[in-house]
Amino acid sequence: MSDPAPPPKGSMFLYDYATAPLPPDNYRLEAATNVTFDGGSPSLKNTIYFQVAGPRFTLPPDFVAGVFPPANGHGPFADSLAQIAIKRRTLPWERPLDKGKPIGPPSDGKGLPADYPAPWVGLLLFEEGEYTLLQNVPLENVVPADVFNRLQNPPNILCDAVEADESLVRAIVPSREELQLLAHVRSVNIEDRELNVEGSDGWFAVVVTNRVPNPGKKYRACLVSLEERSDLVLRDPPPTADSKPVRTVTAAPVRDVRFRLSTRQRILEPSPDLEFGKLVTVLPSKTRLVLLYSWQFTCEGVGTFYELMQNLDVGMMGRVQKPGQPALTDTAHLRLPLQDRGGTEEVVWYRGPLAPFQLTRDPLGPYHSADQARRATPETGAEDVSYAAAFEVGRLLAAADARLAQELMRWRRESFKQSARASTLSAVQKSIKLQLPATIQEQLHVPLPPVVAAGAISRCVSGSGPIADRYGLKAAGRTLGMNPKALTAAWGLASVAEAQTMLGGSSGATGLEVKPPAQTPRKNTTLETEAAHSAALTSLNNSRDRILSNVKVRTGGNQ
Amino acid sequence: MRPAWNTGRESLRARMSNPQQVAAAVPEAEMPPYMESFLAHLRLLIGVPFDYLVPDSRLLPDESIRFFYIDRSWTDRLVDGAIAVGKIGTREQAHHHAHHPAVCQQLDLTERGVRDLQRSRLTFLTMKAALAMDPANVITGFLLRSGAVSGWPHMDVRAYNRVLPRNYDPDAQKQFQLRTMRLERLSPGVLIALFEGVPQMVVCEEPHHGVQFGVHGSSGQFSVFRRGPDGTALGGKDVTIPVRFANPNVLGIAALRRKLAIQAPPLPGQTGSANFAVELLNLPWRQRFEGSGGRPKVMGSGAFVPFVAVAARVQEPALQALVKKVVL
Repeated sequence: MSDPAPPPKGSMFLYDYATAPLPPDNYRLEAATNVTFDGGSPSLKNTIYFQVAGPRFTLPPDFVAGVFPPANGHGPFADSLAQIAIKRRTLPWERPLDKGKPIGPPSDGKGLPADYPAPWVGLLLFEEGEYTLLQNVPLENVVPADVFNRLQNPPNILCDAVEADESLVRAIVPSREELQLLAHVRSVNIEDRELNVEGSDGWFAVVVTNRVPNPGKKYRACLVSLEERSDLVLRDPPPTADSKPVRTVTAAPVRDVRFRLSTRQRILEPSPDLEFGKLVTVLPSKTRLVLLYSWQFTCEGVGTFYELMQNLDVGMMGRVQKPGQPALTDTAHLRLPLQDRGGTEEVVWYRGPLAPFQLTRDPLGPYHSADQARRATPETGAEDVSYAAAFEVGRLLAAADARLAQELMRWRRESFKQSARASTLSAVQKSIKLQLPATIQEQLHVPLPPVVAAGAISRCVSGSGPIADRYGLKAAGRTLGMNPKALTAAWGLASVAEAQTMLGGSSGATGLEVKPPAQTPRKNTTLETEAAHSAALTSLNNSRDRILSNVKVRTGGNQ
Repeated sequence: MRPAWNTGRESLRARMSNPQQVAAAVPEAEMPPYMESFLAHLRLLIGVPFDYLVPDSRLLPDESIRFFYIDRSWTDRLVDGAIAVGKIGTREQAHHHAHHPAVCQQLDLTERGVRDLQRSRLTFLTMKAALAMDPANVITGFLLRSGAVSGWPHMDVRAYNRVLPRNYDPDAQKQFQLRTMRLERLSPGVLIALFEGVPQMVVCEEPHHGVQFGVHGSSGQFSVFRRGPDGTALGGKDVTIPVRFANPNVLGIAALRRKLAIQAPPLPGQTGSANFAVELLNLPWRQRFEGSGGRPKVMGSGAFVPFVAVAARVQEPALQALVKKVVL
């Protein structure tokens, strides 16, 4: 199954959600194989238990692809909603939000469809001073007892937590429907993307906050787990109204609530009622949330992407803000002090690989040592060590890589081997004429022993004949089979010329009819006539028996 | 005893006087893949200490961008130096001498595939089979040291061999795009980019996956633009956002969704978080750098409208299977 096509360059696709087909839980896999054979059809059964695990109370930092506003960033973020991009696109929908105690759809019936999953994480924005961060707290101390129960009492969990006034948390935590709306999946084109160490497939889950920061304040955005927090996440959000231009009208109702609580605390204090007494101790009501990831930013100053890019100092390499600092020549060489190998101090020129203009490529090469690449400049008399430095840094980088050294040796060894083979071939060919292909490349890949053997034998056969018959042609011509007259007699040919033609002789080859020698006449025979030939059959049987007895003797058995 | 066919001395003489050695086309003379890939990485200055690139920090001050041409002689020396490892005698020297032109040509091609290797999208062999064979070109690039690099990781960078109009569609202008050879952060705040060819226009785009959400606030009143299903602004009266009584900085997300739902169409139907997200988008910024001949200019081209598509829900079987693959 292939990936849905990634978006074209410059576009992105938004998806409502991405759910994992197998949510994190414990599973039992039952496998049954029905086998049928002679005796019946038993069923082979096997049961395997396995667990699908996912981040639950902590989030590894490498799951986070990016955050906005940038971590520890300063800038005018007052119009922005903080957001976090998570590399694993299914993460927000991997765990149920309210399995233990369903929250339910909004009461006005205009919510999202019933099968629309609700994310278990939310991004909350806290102003500096509103929250306390706690590290390595036992989970029991973070969530209320009933929530801990609904989480199925996971033992020995330490997690990070954020603590804030309960009233504040209630005021900012999204309702269930809002959580659904604040998380989505993005698919972007990664073709022109800066290299990312972990690599990324272009899919991200994005969780957005619902609180807008105020200018001039410092904020911390906290990705918190809301799993089973039916005490905080409600089916209907707190009442809303259209935002009004004048902010003072709806002045800080949060503090009102707290004030009212504290007055009640004073009233309640003298009460002997134990139940109320309990309430008193709880009254500076704080609530804690499991913290998965958090980062800080400050909402002030100049620092948006736009502002930063517009205010860049743009130029070619070698442009300096104050002329002469550092001193550069017009060729972008930099003066550097150098202690040479004799120990004397000298001033040399250096220019890195990044030049402000196009340079021609040095056609001399290769260089075998750094010294070979040192140059003296005629204008100043000082040395230019740019290329020598490049050589040395290349050498050091390569030497630091053990595998590369091995591969270099392998590269040379292969060439040396082939080169030695070429040398041997040419040396051998001085003594023995070898039948080899024309090009060196093909020669190198010919299996040599048969060729040499053939060459050596042909040399032995030819012997060291007289100079006049260097290739032994005349000697060969003297043999009986090469004599046309003898052939004419032996094959009963019509003429000597015919025999010469068959031997490859050139004289009068054209227009001469060559008859094949007559075949020995043989009468047609059948299997029956052969079988009736009893003498031959007996002889065959005898030889078969002889072979069998031979085999018996060799194997030492009587059978 | 018979004399040997071939003595080491003769052989060495023959090798030294015969510059061709084994022809570069012989399979055995080819570079082993690891070596070829290492040297191709070196060609793009990967692994070279930053001080060698920028010998003085004042050459790349804070909040600056510097364009450059790569000095090919410098990178050639870098490769020579790397090959010098284990070069102990005249034999290796003669060998390198004979093979230098072939090595050089091969690396000119292989360096184009380094980015694919870096992103582990291809294996070395598939990368080599797919290499473009046109002759080596000038390599240019820039170094950017800015808060924008650390604050907006994974920004999109493209270089073009001509100046394109505003709001151009990157997909349609692909044929003018220069091949990106390297795009990498050297440190949290420094980005290096290398292109093949001389660009007339370079753009840096705010990262798309970080396309932000935002609202327009003026003295406590928040509103959003009306946007069509593909993110284009429709104009008309902005939609004011309800806020919670309890905390006026907390947006009434559910209430806003109901307000937006009334206006569909032309606004997208509020079927889920993706369509909701379209309405809350803030435009990413596309920064252009134009001009050449040593005088690049910073040009503000205005924010651009990304083409947003809201895909159907993940119920599609193809995507579900894919999700399965990711999870397992």
